[in-house]
Amino acid sequence: MFSLHSTLAEPAGFQLWEKFLFSALIATSAWLFWQRFGVVLKKIFEAKKDADFRLAPLGRRVWDFFSEVMLQSKVIKQRPLPGLAHAFVFWGFCAFALVTLNHAAVGFGIGFLSPDGLFGRFYFYFAAAFALTCAVGIAGLFVRRFLVRPRWLGEHLSWESGFIAFLIFALMVTYLAQFFVPEGSTAVHVLWWAHTLTILVFLPIIPHTKHLHLVLSPATVFLSRGGFSQIPPLVGDEDFGLIAGTDLTQLATLQAYSCVECGRCTEHCPAANTGKALNPKEIVLGLRGYLNEYGPKGEEPLLGKYNSQEAVFQCTTCGSCEFQCPVGIEHLPLIIGMRRGTVNTGEWDDEHGAKLFLALERGSNALGIATAERDKFIEKAALPLFDGSQEYCLWLGCMGAYDPKGREIVADFARVMRYLGTSFGVLRKEKCTGDPVRRLGNDLVFQQLAESNLEAMTRAKVKKIVTICPHCVRTMAEDWKEFGVAPEVEHHSEFMARHLDRLPKATEKETVVYHDPCYLGRYRNVYEQPRDVVRAGGTLVEAERHGERSFCCGAGGGLAFLGEETGERVSHVRAAELAATGAKTVGTACPFCNSMFRDAFAAQGESAPQLVDIAQLTARRLPEVTTSATQ
Amino acid sequence: MKVIVAIKQVPERDAQVRVDAAGKWIEESGFQWSMNESDAYALEEALQLKEKNGGEVVVLSAGPERVGSTIREALAKGADRGIQVESDGLGDWDALGVAKLLAEAARSENADLVLTGLQSDDLGYGQTGVIVAELLGLPHASLILHVEKTDAGLTVKRELEEGWFQSIELPMPAALTIQSGGNKLRYATLMGIKKAKTKEVRKTTPAELGVTAPAVVTLNQIAQPKKQKTTQMLSGGPKEAAAALVEKLKTEARVL
Ligand code: SF4
Ligand code: SF4
Repeated sequence: MFSLHSTLAEPAGFQLWEKFLFSALIATSAWLFWQRFGVVLKKIFEAKKDADFRLAPLGRRVWDFFSEVMLQSKVIKQRPLPGLAHAFVFWGFCAFALVTLNHAAVGFGIGFLSPDGLFGRFYFYFAAAFALTCAVGIAGLFVRRFLVRPRWLGEHLSWESGFIAFLIFALMVTYLAQFFVPEGSTAVHVLWWAHTLTILVFLPIIPHTKHLHLVLSPATVFLSRGGFSQIPPLVGDEDFGLIAGTDLTQLATLQAYSCVECGRCTEHCPAANTGKALNPKEIVLGLRGYLNEYGPKGEEPLLGKYNSQEAVFQCTTCGSCEFQCPVGIEHLPLIIGMRRGTVNTGEWDDEHGAKLFLALERGSNALGIATAERDKFIEKAALPLFDGSQEYCLWLGCMGAYDPKGREIVADFARVMRYLGTSFGVLRKEKCTGDPVRRLGNDLVFQQLAESNLEAMTRAKVKKIVTICPHCVRTMAEDWKEFGVAPEVEHHSEFMARHLDRLPKATEKETVVYHDPCYLGRYRNVYEQPRDVVRAGGTLVEAERHGERSFCCGAGGGLAFLGEETGERVSHVRAAELAATGAKTVGTACPFCNSMFRDAFAAQGESAPQLVDIAQLTARRLPEVTTSATQ
Repeated sequence: MKVIVAIKQVPERDAQVRVDAAGKWIEESGFQWSMNESDAYALEEALQLKEKNGGEVVVLSAGPERVGSTIREALAKGADRGIQVESDGLGDWDALGVAKLLAEAARSENADLVLTGLQSDDLGYGQTGVIVAELLGLPHASLILHVEKTDAGLTVKRELEEGWFQSIELPMPAALTIQSGGNKLRYATLMGIKKAKTKEVRKTTPAELGVTAPAVVTLNQIAQPKKQKTTQMLSGGPKEAAAALVEKLKTEARVL
């Protein structure tokens, strides 16, 4: 009875009452769609404008759109199988747009794609191919969600997702079936109506569910700020960060409504994975809940019913969430924004936090140690002072200047520079770059530190900076921009990688597992240089999570200076993962990571691998010199 | 309850101090200044009293124009208004002279409580607050860690030696000098700084206050302590050497 035709069968014509019914149904469906979508759109437009928004560089936006939306690159890359299934559904939808338009037009007797015409015939087949992959894709996603049930999709089964999957599947099947039914039969008619009804039911569901991302996320990706963890400047005298609905900008609102609840952010979040209250997906959904209840003109505090202060201050700012999010949501400006809102107004009451802020208000470093100790170290390690004649200013950072292990790393890196014959000097006075206060949302102290350092550098005529600390690099290169132009700055891994051919090679190769610091990898896109440095001195092994998926050490976001964590310690989880590779040595490239693992491995006792910075790994191969001192 | 807090601007904790050409004061150019530490605690105590009992906190400081930044800092932390006795020449005034300035500036305010830090981080006389009390004819107590307002007046916690504390009752008005460490200091906030911009700072001068105190105590010279490194080798076996070391630590280094 059914057989494949050379093209798809379309109904020959419709009764007048059918046309009326169809019109009425379209109107109802569109009305139901608008009922919700109009509300969301209104909230987005009512929200505060993003003062720092620039459309330029347009090229970047177009590319992001093409790559992340059209090609689904991020969706596929970060979760290949479900990603591909999703991509097929998406491409199917795109290919279907024309078919659907024509389908509706046929209802009014004005179809424009003729099944017999050359283009029509081609296009219907073309769409059929996509319909097939789309049907397979959605079936796959259904199996994953309802049978495999990955943890990060949430504990509750979402029946609406199941229903949506069913509708998409039905859409494809009712389309494909049109190739098999005899032309002019009632079956053609029935299929047309089935397909139509599926579409008209699907449409209003979109804005009422997370499928809103179908409509919003292309815009979200296109409009995203672009820079990683880009924290918008505060505008005017009344802006202290995100305190209430009135502080949520249009971008923040758009992002809150775009979340597709995929849980990728949570899957990679060190806080969520170690039993803390923080869950980045819930942060975004919390904002959405807030906007639903109070709207962008809401005066209620954001931290309260929908998001908690506790959670917001558990973030290490590792950036995994922002890096992973397939719809362009930027978590860090949101999380740090809410921190700003409570810190800038003095609402955040935390003993350790206050101590850190006071140390940086009154003193020069985050560790709260007298600067005289820094001078002593400089003298002991015989580091030359920067006088404007040297090529590099070697920036010590708080850890490099005051932490015993940090000092060893600085001294060893200085040996490497000396060996290479690169001239360098250290500043007599250096203040914390402001990284911890920036991430904790203390704009006052951050500004003071940034300005005072920028001034000192201009005075000293610093042209190039190199430092052992990725946090310093990031803060100088990006966060200081608001207050002036910092000299060119690079991380010691970049410096050493460039000069590898002039450094001695290792004779004996040990196995080294390299830990990517968040602020070097995701924040700066430097993955290969430190690995090159490791490879020159050992055999590189990789931890299970590495590169852009590296798992945080737990120190970032100012957390190194706050009190005890709740739940499991992030550093212990990561240290165990590094040790599990069986590598003899753990290579770090950040003094904060180093100090976190130092404590974690100390708890492990004898069996722990040795822990060295990649500068130390390199310095070991240098011929002994008598003048160097460490402590 | 109206509280006046007298604060002093001192060189930043980590400042590298150099003696100026005349040898009477330090080289001030390129210097960073901050609020005297025990004054910061006095301010904190005042702010907490205000939070509990209501009222007003007025900060008072004497010195050149730069002192204004420390007054602003206090306003940013929550003080309501400021009074600055502006003068460039206070460097060689003694504690009595400065106390007269502060007392005269405070007198017309008729405050319930006058607080100062125990002593300044730079000169460390430890007298100014006590003299102010005397000049204003107020009962006073020093080395105070905590102040509580009662129906009858005040109950204060005083620090004694070796971990002992004393609890004292005083009538109001009174003057107290505050010891560091009794409270947790609050951090400065962006909002506080912005609000401080609109708060009133009244300026006055020693002449306007009618104070021309010639110094009773004059400062002759200040000097950096001389760095000395002397190494002594102790001879003999471990036992004798240890004995000799203990002896030297007792009599020469006086650390035991
Ligand atoms: S930045 Fe890292 S710690 Fe913070 S919410 Fe995102 S994934 Fe979690
Ligand atoms: S914020 Fe992004 S990554 Fe997280 S659940 Fe929503 S869409 Fe997924």
